[in-house]
Amino acid sequence: MVTKTNEELIVEKHVNLLHAGFKARAEREFEPSPAMGDFRWTEQLILSTYYQAEHGRPPENGLEYRVGRSEGGFDVLDFKFLDEAAWTPEDVDIDLSIPLNKRGVGREIEIPIPIYGGGMSFGSISEQVMVSRARAAQEWGTFMSTGEGGYPLALLPYKDHVITQVATGMFGVREETIRNARIVEFKYAQGAKPGLGGHLLGDKSTAAVAALRESVPWVSLFSPFPFHSVYSVEDHRKHVDWIKMTNPEALVSVKVSTPTDVDMVAVGSYYAGANIVHLDGSYGGTGAAPEIAKKNIAMPIEFAVPKVHKYLESENIRDEITVMASGGVRTAYDVAKAIALGADGVVMGTAELVSMGCTRCSNCERGQGCTFGLTTTDPLLSQFIEPDWGAQRISNLYASYALQLKDILRKLGLKNIRELRGRKDLLRYIGKGKSAS
Amino acid sequence: MTKKETYHRYHIATKPAPEIEKWPPRFNVTVGRVGLAKNLIKEIFHFGLGERREVVLSRPCIYGVFSGPVGGFAPRPQECVGCLRCTTEYPDYVKVEPNPARQQLGDSYFTFNHVNTISVESLDGSIPVKGAGYRGKFGGEGWDGMWTDMSEIVRPTRDGIHGRESISTIADIGYSPAFLQFDTNGQVLGETPNSLSIPLPMLFDLSAPAFKNNIFIKGAAKAAAEVGTLIILPVDVIKRLGLTGEHIVPLLKKGDESKLDSLVDFRLVTLSEWDAQLYAAIRQTLPDALVSLQINAVSDELTEIVEAGIHVFQWVSSFHGRDPQGSFILDSIRKLHTFFVEAGIREEVTLLGSGGMIAAEHIPKALLVGLDAVALDTPLVVAVQGKFDGECESREMSRFTFPQKLTADWAAQRIINLAAAWRDQLLEISGAMGIRETRRLRGEMGRAMFMADLEAAAFEGIDGYGD
Repeated sequence: MVTKTNEELIVEKHVNLLHAGFKARAEREFEPSPAMGDFRWTEQLILSTYYQAEHGRPPENGLEYRVGRSEGGFDVLDFKFLDEAAWTPEDVDIDLSIPLNKRGVGREIEIPIPIYGGGMSFGSISEQVMVSRARAAQEWGTFMSTGEGGYPLALLPYKDHVITQVATGMFGVREETIRNARIVEFKYAQGAKPGLGGHLLGDKSTAAVAALRESVPWVSLFSPFPFHSVYSVEDHRKHVDWIKMTNPEALVSVKVSTPTDVDMVAVGSYYAGANIVHLDGSYGGTGAAPEIAKKNIAMPIEFAVPKVHKYLESENIRDEITVMASGGVRTAYDVAKAIALGADGVVMGTAELVSMGCTRCSNCERGQGCTFGLTTTDPLLSQFIEPDWGAQRISNLYASYALQLKDILRKLGLKNIRELRGRKDLLRYIGKGKSAS
Repeated sequence: MTKKETYHRYHIATKPAPEIEKWPPRFNVTVGRVGLAKNLIKEIFHFGLGERREVVLSRPCIYGVFSGPVGGFAPRPQECVGCLRCTTEYPDYVKVEPNPARQQLGDSYFTFNHVNTISVESLDGSIPVKGAGYRGKFGGEGWDGMWTDMSEIVRPTRDGIHGRESISTIADIGYSPAFLQFDTNGQVLGETPNSLSIPLPMLFDLSAPAFKNNIFIKGAAKAAAEVGTLIILPVDVIKRLGLTGEHIVPLLKKGDESKLDSLVDFRLVTLSEWDAQLYAAIRQTLPDALVSLQINAVSDELTEIVEAGIHVFQWVSSFHGRDPQGSFILDSIRKLHTFFVEAGIREEVTLLGSGGMIAAEHIPKALLVGLDAVALDTPLVVAVQGKFDGECESREMSRFTFPQKLTADWAAQRIINLAAAWRDQLLEISGAMGIRETRRLRGEMGRAMFMADLEAAAFEGIDGYGD
């Protein structure tokens, strides 16, 4: 008989308690916690995400799982569902798939749900969390992104579902990691800190993190902004060419933030050869960002998506580029609203972390900051997330989203998620202080 | 003289200035002792003690809330960061709740979140950096309904705040003619420039009657001198405290002519209201000093006042940012800026503003809508751990309570730290926009985004919007 070490027993003790706690809270066995949640991610949204991660379906115990209390954006929009007689019949299979390459040349990639996982780097999150995300992406036939911290070898078994991110710090960017990927993502900017470059504070830059990033351990890493090699749209084109030369089969995604001229940025990306323009709105998640940047720089995604959609349409190129939206997409209803506003699909990150126990306490920037083992590289804490368990939680969340998206489409009389794109006429503005249905 | 000897890059010397008065912790932590005791017994039976003692005593907190001598029996709420792991693991006997005493700091406008932020900034001058995304309401009134722009690719400040090109935060106060005319001997004809520069677009304004604490005022004056900015104070306070130096800006009111004799070496003098007689007396006593005028309304009289020689205006709102007509300062600044633009004399005036600007982001936003510099008031109170006595909107009637151990040196360092943190955040915002000098932000409305405009464009055509 193998005797467990104290460390193993400590991990086991806390993991068991945490898992029981997530379940019990989501089942509403305890009083609400007034310290949990905020206007965007309310306590009920957090707990309903736990519930979905547990059961693979939306809660039926009264927990709100569709909107927060931010009094704007997605939270003041609702769908104009049809009378039941006009719903799409139950026997019609609703199609949630979207293409990621609409250019008509190059590799065709279709994902069965209009969602993939956003960039979260090794260093900002643990390797266990990265593997959890990659396994869930593989199970659903979709993708997750490495973020800008390099490509851990543990992701290689899932490489067909891993997007390699090339960001301004170029941490761990190598020809072979570019060649690993079916999609390569340029991160020009991030919604939570637009115009500032990535932040990884010193005590999260462990020896393992630093090795992958080809940097010095325990030194804060502030990525420059913007790319040193891109001074113009022409340079951007050369950037895309660099990827295409290294990996001719790869699709190229361009992740940008949402400045006032985001529509022109999207058009520029199209002409530079991008397959996907990924708009990251200002209310997105982050491992660390100046508080001032989160609220005040660049516009929320709810405003950027229709602007870009409209402009691409006016340029007659809307059907040649995939628009993915991120930055504050929290629920299946947010996914559908983003698409109705003009996106093809969405990129999610925070919701995945919440499915694995994140309480949105905002301490991710610290070395040991995340006591739940998510946004940490602490050797003990990171053991709290066992990749099989994490992957199942994310997978269950996606299953719940898929159920809800199909339900939304059915009630709108649609058969295909692509039919929802840009259908603002199916939305209703409900204003502040009222509840979306 | 070498370049190295002459080159001076502006820098604010911060150093830690820990709190001198304990503020209530952010969270209350309650542990049911019976529940904890039962759990301990259960775990002792399960794991045993001896070599498994470490397992039994392993706590659901890495911040030290349960790391006192008796662990969870006497939790230390001041260490709590609200991660809620303890309540997740032990929901039946551990509770973490926001502390109402903490939430009462500030008032309805200067919320406890603003207080929390300033308490971090004034501690050591650092920029608050946190994980996770934005947690607040989507937009809102006033400053919250405004976003600043950023540049994806093309930008002059290639490396932002971390790079080789510095971003200038200098603000000019005063007047420069659009061009100079010279006679045949090369002598300047007509008007010559009369302006002063401060290294950051922030002044301190303690001219309101509500500011009464002498130690606080001395500390703020010292901080103004050290960061190289200005502090506006009533002339009586200056005399009473014996304050001197070019950083002091006396505020004079009608009938203060007799006090002018004691004023020397002041670069800027402020009038609380327009008074031609007082202005003439100032011109006679202090011919080289710039004169500014505090205003809270826009009228055609302002152009006449410019013609009379005033080129600096300070918009003064209540501490909640409201003018007597009820307008918010953001709208008032836009109106004031637009007034001078339309009058064709915006380049001839400097616009300052105070009241209702209580967070680092309000500085660039105020510049974008038209100010040249911001005069800070209540944030200085909070920086030195001053507490608001009820609602503090009135510049006359508001009451603040300061720590008993307050010293001018400590207060100065806290305010210096705050100024450094806010300047650094101004650099962040400017860098994100690709702006190389913050003077260029003035009235750059194209780099501002307003919720009303964005929402109208995005939600146009959605059923119910605009009804």
